[in-house]
Amino acid sequence: MNYSSTQFVTPNSMTYEPVQQTGFWGDFTVNGFVNSPSPFILEVDGKLSNQSEDSSHGMVGILDGYDQEDSKRGEKSGLQVSRRLAQNREAARKSRIRKKAYVQQLENSKIRLLQLEQELERVKQQGQYMGEGVDASQLGYSGNPKPGIETFQVDHGHWVEEQNIQTTELRNALKSQIGEIELRILVDSCMSHYFNLFHMKTIAAKADAFYVMSGMWKTQAERFFLWIGGFRPSEILKILIPRLETLTEQQLVEAGNLKQSCHQAEDALSQGMEKLQQILSSTIAAGQLGEGNYLPQMDAAMERLEALVRVLNQADHLRRETLEQMARILTTRQAARAFLALGEYFERLRALSSLWSSNPPEPA
Amino acid sequence: MQEAIPYRRWATNQNNSSSSTSSTIYLKGPEGHDLKRIVEETPVLIFMKSGDCMGHVVKRLLQGLGVNPCVYEIDDKDEKRICVEIMGIIDGGGGRDGEGVQFPVAFIGGELFGGLDRVMATHITGELNLVLKQAGALWL
Repeated sequence: MNYSSTQFVTPNSMTYEPVQQTGFWGDFTVNGFVNSPSPFILEVDGKLSNQSEDSSHGMVGILDGYDQEDSKRGEKSGLQVSRRLAQNREAARKSRIRKKAYVQQLENSKIRLLQLEQELERVKQQGQYMGEGVDASQLGYSGNPKPGIETFQVDHGHWVEEQNIQTTELRNALKSQIGEIELRILVDSCMSHYFNLFHMKTIAAKADAFYVMSGMWKTQAERFFLWIGGFRPSEILKILIPRLETLTEQQLVEAGNLKQSCHQAEDALSQGMEKLQQILSSTIAAGQLGEGNYLPQMDAAMERLEALVRVLNQADHLRRETLEQMARILTTRQAARAFLALGEYFERLRALSSLWSSNPPEPA
Repeated sequence: MQEAIPYRRWATNQNNSSSSTSSTIYLKGPEGHDLKRIVEETPVLIFMKSGDCMGHVVKRLLQGLGVNPCVYEIDDKDEKRICVEIMGIIDGGGGRDGEGVQFPVAFIGGELFGGLDRVMATHITGELNLVLKQAGALWL
């Protein structure tokens, strides 16, 4: 058999260049076999990629058609054939690897998409309180949030997770016999965590003051207590102070002063806010209401809105100062208990919001 | 224990005399006001731009403490001029950095005290109370 002299080599032991480099699995075609003149080779290729065992038989069957005169040419083309077949096999193998990688990439994207959808669902739930329906672009809040706000929403989600972790750490630390220094470190990091939030809110307020003002980034129950884009510091003190046992006389006096100062500062800021509302209202209503052209009023109103950022910043400034002063009055252990109480308080509010979302009241 | 007039009682008084603003002196700036003299002679003085809600906050906060602040309102057109004058007064007293002054700004006892941030922070810590007493603006 003239075939027997042909070396039948496996792809592994052969050195050659792949016939065609393809960067993407989908591009792979049988056209890798560019310099093949004989159509019958292509048929064989299809069999070859699946059954390497039988390939030699197939080949023999086909090449049996050659007569003696073409033996040399047969030999040569036999070599070419076997080389092309090997190249084909290699190309097919690479194609399988690429396909596998591509499918893996698709799987990862699918998981990522699911995560994003869950995140969106969570944010939508927060927006449903406004009763605007499930319109994703509205999120229950008129006007699409400006750029920078989506970042804030994601960051705030992380902030809440970290907050819950810290609350748990405090709980465990206070149960254990943790030392003063370690407890202090924990307290300080809780404080810094709140400062981070105020910093985030400052940036978000510059991006979209109305959004921060609306509190849409908080859960429903938290929003019920909203005061200028966040929690009311005096309310927090009213909750925390009675729950701190072992306050000395001095501490009680100082805590009382803090509560009163906080209340006064809040009232001043609230009145500033009312003043801004008055000014904005009269700016918008200036001129003839009904004449239909109000561009100048819009320009003036936009300028006035800059003050809203300052009010929001000042409210966060007050929150920060109040927390700092509270920590100054208290011992490390007392401060730890205070932060634990505060953390759990907010946790409970968020839990209430979740419960509310899954059990809305019956329509009347 | 020395303390300012309790907030609630003062708020009631304010409401009763809301029509008369005699407890708070308002100045508006035509030229000819000797700012230096006003700063030196007024125990509690607030410079603010007309209609600025943050200036309103400073005013309300100080009023809530039982203080009668003098409020100097500045129109947009006068802002630069008065800013320069104030910088002159401050620098004469011993040099701050060359940046312009931000309104609202408070002077207590003839000395530059600061903006809303400082007023708010010192109020929470209790420092504001002390400074006001030292300046003779609070006498309880």
